[in-house]
Amino acid sequence: MNAPFFKFEYFTPDFSLVIAILIGIGFGFFLEQAGFGSARKLAAQFYFRDMTVFKVMFTAIVTAMVGVFYLGWLGWLDISLIYLTPTYITPQVVGGLILGLGFVVGGYCPGTGMASLSTGRVDGMIYILGVFAGIFVFGESFSIWKDFYVSGKMGQITLYELTGIPYGVIMFLVILMAIGGFIGAEKVEKYFAKKDAEASK
Amino acid sequence: MKLEFSKANAPRYLAVFVIILGVIGLFAGDIKNNASKNIDNKELALIVESKVDHITVDDLADWLIQGRADFRLVDINEEKEFNDYHIPNAENIKMTSLLDGGLGKNEKIILYSTGGIHAAQAWMLLKANGYDNSYTILGGLDAWKDRILFPSLPAGSSAIDSINFEKLKAVSRYFGGSPQESASAAAPSTATLKRELPKLSSSGGDGSSATPAKKKKKEGC
Repeated sequence: MNAPFFKFEYFTPDFSLVIAILIGIGFGFFLEQAGFGSARKLAAQFYFRDMTVFKVMFTAIVTAMVGVFYLGWLGWLDISLIYLTPTYITPQVVGGLILGLGFVVGGYCPGTGMASLSTGRVDGMIYILGVFAGIFVFGESFSIWKDFYVSGKMGQITLYELTGIPYGVIMFLVILMAIGGFIGAEKVEKYFAKKDAEASK
Repeated sequence: MKLEFSKANAPRYLAVFVIILGVIGLFAGDIKNNASKNIDNKELALIVESKVDHITVDDLADWLIQGRADFRLVDINEEKEFNDYHIPNAENIKMTSLLDGGLGKNEKIILYSTGGIHAAQAWMLLKANGYDNSYTILGGLDAWKDRILFPSLPAGSSAIDSINFEKLKAVSRYFGGSPQESASAAAPSTATLKRELPKLSSSGGDGSSATPAKKKKKEGC
């Protein structure tokens, strides 16, 4: 057995949808369990009161990265076959900023919005309605954005290809960054908790 | 009490564990990226026999008109031939530099050469190196010219053929070709007919095809 299983055709495209549903349900379940079904918790991230989002996301990144590296190193996973979203640098920076703004205002990102909706929260439902409205408007006005949408094309590129730094070194640096981030996040949380406590006195 | 102690320290243990993994990674060396794949002879023979590795020029023309960009169109011909004419959006990659990393194993790669033999050889090379999503154009650039750029209606064709030919003519004009109208007439001297290759813009295939592609799309809507 060699991974990625789909590329090596261990299952059909139809069956991949079944797997996608299972992974999706699992993803949603753990988002909800981490408290990400609540806009209060998510929005608190942006006011530095609760850094859970940061910690969970960075933990996921590090876990996946270490897993991919060692599976690839052992030869169980052919990393050259993993699909990478092509990089279009300018539209993706702009898109990221728009998503971030929507995240602060709405209290959800699309994934957590779905998790929230499935637990029956009304704000989650409204949020997802907004997501679909946005998709519709974007789709209908796509001809206006088309040129910008494909600008800054860099292809399916990784940090390794961009910088020539070996995968292992990049992994080590990202791990250091994550650990530093976690320590920083704890400090920030404590600082603001103290400040809030003083303010409420 | 003991349990509580270890629970509180779990993140710390995890951090230490992941740092150890990171340090090992520093010295682990690189991931075997280009580990050559074992060729499954039977599988390869089956693919060749069932012709699933072929893409017809009609399909390719449709995809180009639709503006699809989910594939890489690779011209294996010599640079000079490529500069004379190439299918819009094609990129010129030499046989010797096929495996140099310009192409991704996770990409859909469509190869062509003038007659198709070179492309087929390139296909074998890619396939043997794990570029599983590779295809060749049936008949190569010759087929593209015969069927897309300079389509002709053979004498004695049925009414349905004539209707289909109207569609082919539209496709041909889209790619800057010239349909061989009078080929259907009695004169069989097709060789004397004008078969002038469309001119390429100096910027290469990319720019020249992008503008008409958009127009066509709007028509469709």
